Amino acid sequence: MPESGQIVPFRKAVLCLNGGPTDDLIVHLGCQLAKPGNAELVAVHVIEVDWRHELSEEMTSQNDAASAVLDRAEGIAERYKIKLSGDLLQAREVAAALVDEAIELDADAILIGLPYRTRFGGDFALGPTVPYVFQNAPCQVIVLREPVPSSGERRDTRAEAVPPKGRFGFR
Amino acid sequence: MKDDHGPSGMKPWLHGRKPGDRRIRVERPHAEYFRYSEPGTLVARESASAPRTATGRAVEKVRYTLFGRRLSIDEDVNERLSKKKALAIFSSDAISSSAYATEEILRVLVLAGAAALLVSIPIAIAIALLLAVVSISYRQEIFAYPSGGGDYAVARANLPGIFALIVAGALLIDYVMTVAVSTSSAVEQVISAVPDLEVWRVPIAAVAILLIMLGNLRGLRESGNIFAIPTYVFVASTLFMIVVGIFRILVLGEGQPPPEPLPGAHDPMEVLGILLVLRAFASGSVALTGVEAIANGVPAFQPPESRNAAKTLTVMALLLGVLFVGLTIVADGFGIVPVDEPAVKTVISQVAATIFGNDTIAFYFYQAFTAMILFLAANTSFNAFPRLAAILARDGYMPRQFSFRGDRLAFTSGIVILAIAAITVIAAFGGVVTALIPLYAVGVFAAFTIGQVGLVRHWLRERTPGWRKKLSINAFGATLTFLVFVVVLVAKAPTSLLIAVVVPLMILVMVFIHRQYEASARHLAVRPDYVVPPPRREERVIVPIPGINRAVIQAINVGRSIAPDVRAVLISDEPEEAAALRARWERQIPDVPLVIVESPYRALVGPMLSYLHVLDETWPEDREAPVTFVVIPEYVARNWWERLLYNQSANRLRRALIGRPHTVVVNVPYRREGDVDGDHPEPPAPASS
Repeated sequence: MPESGQIVPFRKAVLCLNGGPTDDLIVHLGCQLAKPGNAELVAVHVIEVDWRHELSEEMTSQNDAASAVLDRAEGIAERYKIKLSGDLLQAREVAAALVDEAIELDADAILIGLPYRTRFGGDFALGPTVPYVFQNAPCQVIVLREPVPSSGERRDTRAEAVPPKGRFGFR
Repeated sequence: MKDDHGPSGMKPWLHGRKPGDRRIRVERPHAEYFRYSEPGTLVARESASAPRTATGRAVEKVRYTLFGRRLSIDEDVNERLSKKKALAIFSSDAISSSAYATEEILRVLVLAGAAALLVSIPIAIAIALLLAVVSISYRQEIFAYPSGGGDYAVARANLPGIFALIVAGALLIDYVMTVAVSTSSAVEQVISAVPDLEVWRVPIAAVAILLIMLGNLRGLRESGNIFAIPTYVFVASTLFMIVVGIFRILVLGEGQPPPEPLPGAHDPMEVLGILLVLRAFASGSVALTGVEAIANGVPAFQPPESRNAAKTLTVMALLLGVLFVGLTIVADGFGIVPVDEPAVKTVISQVAATIFGNDTIAFYFYQAFTAMILFLAANTSFNAFPRLAAILARDGYMPRQFSFRGDRLAFTSGIVILAIAAITVIAAFGGVVTALIPLYAVGVFAAFTIGQVGLVRHWLRERTPGWRKKLSINAFGATLTFLVFVVVLVAKAPTSLLIAVVVPLMILVMVFIHRQYEASARHLAVRPDYVVPPPRREERVIVPIPGINRAVIQAINVGRSIAPDVRAVLISDEPEEAAALRARWERQIPDVPLVIVESPYRALVGPMLSYLHVLDETWPEDREAPVTFVVIPEYVARNWWERLLYNQSANRLRRALIGRPHTVVVNVPYRREGDVDGDHPEPPAPASS
């Protein structure tokens, strides 16, 4: 932290998006943190390709949904007047791809969302991605856990982000 | 990180830090220019509007330098104003008129000599009372129409359409005159301080207007901070001047008797009649111009909008009244009259020189701030005129381009037209305020009157609690402002009659435009219940050709994709060459018939049009006329000078065909892509059409 006491969190940050409930929170937070220092944001969405498919295989329906997520992030950033570019990746391991992309982009922060999930309705489940990023990212990592939803309030925005097939002009 | 290619060889693999960690970047072709706001809806990014040619980029750089970067619609700033800021913004027009209203009274009265000058104070008080009545009437309008819009909106809602158009015409002229008068007066304030600039009066005014125009094209907003300082400094220093002036006149007895009549003036007692007093009153009533501004901009106030706007209007009217009457008293007390020779010395500058001392820093500062508030008053019209023009354009009374906003979210057409009109008026009247004044107040009082009458109709219809009292106030205001309108029109004749000619002309033009738009809208309308069937008319394609080349072949192929009935037409004045071409054509393009039209008079367009006419005539009468596609091959010029060398005949033909019934003109541009082998049988696909 600079001596003046003003926080300059980063100059370039990777926002990890997955079409989940924390996406908007992450983008808003990223924009707010980027605003004072006019930092650059890169929204990264990784499509996990399982071993039944070639890594290079065209995952059309998932790509459309992921692209819509990035477009939405770009729309939010435009309102903040923050430079945000979208990066759509296919990989076997989401967490590794996120860290590798942050390294390649020379980002000095990774912002990642953590949905409030419980294992079989019991203990809080951290999932595999966040611990991997914690362990392997060379830059600072900011994790934003979504507010604990009250029962029945939980909604998954991934369903909303999936565009209907055949209506996209370019895809 | 190293890249290589995946098994498909299409997408590069990006390797991670650990063995086996690989990822692929998926291309999003739309992302450079668009983003999806929802499925099927694209939002264009700034890059989508970026020029793609070198010339376009050069022009863009010039535009960027002059006007700044393009603004997104999301960047439109709707500043909610506090009362203090709103007073500064909306009052600059009205308050600044105190800088010349007193002078205009004195200019009339001075013709009748010293005795007549004393009448200036009662006249100023009468105008102040008129101001009070108009302000109270506008308070009613603020509460009745909290969404703003001013007299045009009131007239449109309550009166037959012609009255709204009268208001619109009068207000548009009023805005032009506000720019012209305020700028001219500002220049006169500058000349009063620096007399050597007298010869540059019109150029200075023109440059000032162009600068204000440029600022507005850049998207200059009525930012409270820009307005606050000059307005409040002017108000405070003028109040100080009035207090000191009255103290010196009444307590110290420093007042001077009015000077002798100007050379050539008539006997005072003979001339000082009712007409002169009315003329002086009419001249001074310009003080009321700009009073309507607050009623127009109610939505810009912080909540509660109407109450804040009404309070601000009251303060503005009080300030304007005090400044106007106070300046008149001080000017009268010190025997100040306007001076035109050798250079103009405005009354307010002489008051300032008397109070602050001639050639003092305070005097120059005061003159600077007076000029500044006058320039700001001109700037208010640069916001109001384009907005009203945009409303009129949306209502179909002005060309639609007035409703389009430019790169900087400004109504470009309205701003430019206002600047041109104001400069023209200034040039025509030599930039002399007194010469401009007769044109000024007429339109304003016409708008006041119609607005008040509209409110009377409003109260009669709505009958809200206390409607009788409100109706009475507006009826009284309408009567009074109508009387003043007549006085101004008659007393300032014949110049004022120019407005009586221009406004009806503008109304005629607006009605004409409205009818045109209505007619075209009726013609183009599609019934909501109409389901569009597939096309049933037959189609045929005509390809005018100059010979056989790649552009022609490309056009023929495009024609084939439109309809099976394709024929090439050669207009030739060389029968032997035409015969040779036919032989080659039948060998190389055997399935497309070639029609040769010999043109011994060497004309191209005429024979082609006649050929199309004959085709139409020979079409069977029992079948619906076909759609004729004229597919014109074009060679795309790569440089500006190439444009002079190519496509001249195609351009002439295209111009002649535009508007021809049942005819569609298709341009098929052929773009030269580097050096090509002339033996390639198939030209590339068209670049665009």
